[in-house]
Amino acid sequence: MEAVEYLDLLLKALLLAGVYAAMAVGMTVVYGVMKIVNLAHAGFLMLGAYFALEMFQRFHIDPILGAVLALPVFFLFGMAVHWLLVRWLPKSDTPTLASLLLMFGFWLVLQNVGYLAWGNEDQSILTPLTLSSIQIGEISIPKVNLVVFGAAVACMVVLQILFHRSWFGRSMRALIQNPYAAQIVGVDDQRTSRLTFGLGTAFAGFAGALLGMLYSFSPDFGRQFLLRSFVIIVLGGLESISGVALGAIVLAVFEIFSIRVPVPWYSHGAWASYYLPASYQPAMSFALLVVVLLLLPKGVAGLLERKWKAA
Amino acid sequence: MESGMKLPTGIGGWLKATLPWVLLAVLLLLPATHPSDNLIRLLFITAVWTTTSLGWNLLGGMAGQVSFGFAVFFGLGAYTTALLMHVGHSPYFGFAGGAAIAMLASFFIGLPTFRLRGPYFVIATIGLTEAVRVIMNNLDVTGGASGYRIIEDKPFSQNEHYFSAIAAVALAVIVSTLIAKSKFGLALRAIKQDEDAAAHVGVNPYTSKLWIHAIAAGLTGIAGGIYARRAAFIYPGDVFAFQTGISILLMPVIGGIGTIWGAVLGGVIFGMVEEQISVKFPNLHLLIYGSLLILIILLEPDGLLGLLRRLFQLFRSKREDSGSPDADQVLWGRGGVEGR
Repeated sequence: MEAVEYLDLLLKALLLAGVYAAMAVGMTVVYGVMKIVNLAHAGFLMLGAYFALEMFQRFHIDPILGAVLALPVFFLFGMAVHWLLVRWLPKSDTPTLASLLLMFGFWLVLQNVGYLAWGNEDQSILTPLTLSSIQIGEISIPKVNLVVFGAAVACMVVLQILFHRSWFGRSMRALIQNPYAAQIVGVDDQRTSRLTFGLGTAFAGFAGALLGMLYSFSPDFGRQFLLRSFVIIVLGGLESISGVALGAIVLAVFEIFSIRVPVPWYSHGAWASYYLPASYQPAMSFALLVVVLLLLPKGVAGLLERKWKAA
Repeated sequence: MESGMKLPTGIGGWLKATLPWVLLAVLLLLPATHPSDNLIRLLFITAVWTTTSLGWNLLGGMAGQVSFGFAVFFGLGAYTTALLMHVGHSPYFGFAGGAAIAMLASFFIGLPTFRLRGPYFVIATIGLTEAVRVIMNNLDVTGGASGYRIIEDKPFSQNEHYFSAIAAVALAVIVSTLIAKSKFGLALRAIKQDEDAAAHVGVNPYTSKLWIHAIAAGLTGIAGGIYARRAAFIYPGDVFAFQTGISILLMPVIGGIGTIWGAVLGGVIFGMVEEQISVKFPNLHLLIYGSLLILIILLEPDGLLGLLRRLFQLFRSKREDSGSPDADQVLWGRGGVEGR
C-alpha cells in the first residue's frame, strides 16, 4: 500500500472515532457515577436513529438538527427512566446482578417496541449530503462523515466544559471519585444520578441519530455498538471523558486497519499477503477487548498514567 | 453444618423430599403409555432448555456472575457433537466431546476477565457470542452460515432422544445439588455476597469462578449436543444466536434465580410457553420477557418460586424462620438476586 492510502485510512479512522466517542461517552458517565453497566444504551442508540428518521420524514428536519433536537428529548426520557426504574436498584460499588438484568430487560423492551413500531426492515436516512464527497488530492471524504464528525466533536467539547465548569459537572466528578465523601460534603446523590442518567441517555440519542446517518439501521441496531462502546470505555480506563476520546481513536484505527492492511502469511512454501475478510470485522472489537484485558487491564489511559507517575 | 441424613418433617418436608423422585418416575414411565409424538417432542425440548437453565444458574445464581454468552457453549456443544458424529463416533461420545470443548471455551473467556473487578466479565460474554458467531459464519469446515447437516445411520428413535434429554436434566440437577451442598457451593455463595470477605476467609474467588463457569459450560454443551442430534441440522444463526443466550438467562431468572428448583421451574415454563407464544407473536414474545424481567427484578427478585412460596406462607400461620442459608434454602428458595 502507498502512503496516500494509509493517510486515507487514517483519516477515515479519525472521522469514525468522533462518532464512536460520542456513542461511548453516555455509557461512561452513567457507569462512572452509578456503577451501572447501561445495557439499555443499545436501545437508546436505536431510538435515536429512528428519532432522526421520523423527524426527517415527517417534518423534513435535517438529521443533524434532528440529532441536536434528540438531546433535550432523550434527556427527559432518561430522567423518566431513572425515576421509574433505575432509582430502585440497590446501591453498590460494582455492577450488581440486579442492575445488569434490569437494564437488559429494559433493552429488550425498547428493542421489541421498535419492532412493533417500525418493523424489522433496514432503514436509512438519505440526504443530499449522503452521496456527495470532498476531494483533497487523491483522498475523497464523504461530506456526511465530516458533518457527523463536526457535530460529535462539538458535543464532546460542550460536555467537557459542562464537566469541568459547572456545579453539576463537579458533583458528577465528585461522585465518580468517591461517592461517600461526595455525599458528606453535600452532593445530592439521587438528583445527580437522575441528571447523569438523563445526560447519558441524551448522548445516546444524539449519537444514535449520527450513526443513523452513516449506517442503515433496524430495531436491532444498537447491539453491534454496545460492545464497541464498552471496548472504548475499557481502553479509556472506565471513568474519564478524555479517556473515551483516546479509546475511540484506538478502536477506530484498529477496526479500519485490521481488515484493509495485508498481513504477511506463509502458505504453500511462499510468503503471500493475506487480507482478513471484511466479514470478520464485527469480531475485531472483541479481539481487541481480550487483548486489552490481558495486557492493560487499566486501559491505555491507565498505561499513560503509570508512565506519567513514573517520570 | 449438620451431617448425616435428616428425616423430612411435616407435609412440606415430605413433599420436598419425594417430589423430585415422583417427577422423575413419571417422566421415565411416560413413553410406556404411548403419548403423542408432539408431547414427547415438547418434553424433549423442555428438558434441553431446563438443562441449560440449571447450568446458567450455577454460575449466575450461585456465584452471582451474569453471563449473556451461554449460546457459545450451547453452539459449541452442538457443533462438536455434529462433527464427532460425522467422523463416526457414537453420539454419546459426541456429547462428552461437546462438554469438553465448551469447558475449554469457558476458560478462554474466564481467564482474562475473572481476575478483574468490575463489569468486564459480563461485557466480554456479550462480545464472545458475537465473535464466535462471526467466526462460525465464515468457517468452511462446518458449512459456514448455511449450516451443517448431521447424518445418523441408525433409524430415528423418538424415545432415545427423549431419554437422553431427561438424563441430561437429571445429571444437571444432581451436579447442582452436590455443589449446593458442598463446601465449594458455600464458597460460591460467599463470593456472591461479598467477594472481599470470601477471600479473607480463604476462598479463592478467581479459581472458584473459573471452575463453576467450566461446569456450567459443560452442562450447556451437553444440552447443545442433544439438541443438535435431534434437530439433525444446525446453523450459527440458530445455536449461536444472541437470542439463545438470552433465553438461557431468562429461564432461571423467571423461575427463581439462585435456586435449583427455580431454575427447573423456569426451564419448564419457558420450554412449554416459548413454543406457543413465539409462533403466535414472533415480535411480541421478547417484549413480554423483557417486561417480565423488569417486574421480577423490581418486585419479586426470587422469581416465580419466590412468589409461590409467599402464596404458601399466606396459608400458614407459622413463619418460616430465616436462619442461616443452609443447603435446603439453596435448593428450594431464598437464592435472591443479591444473596442475603
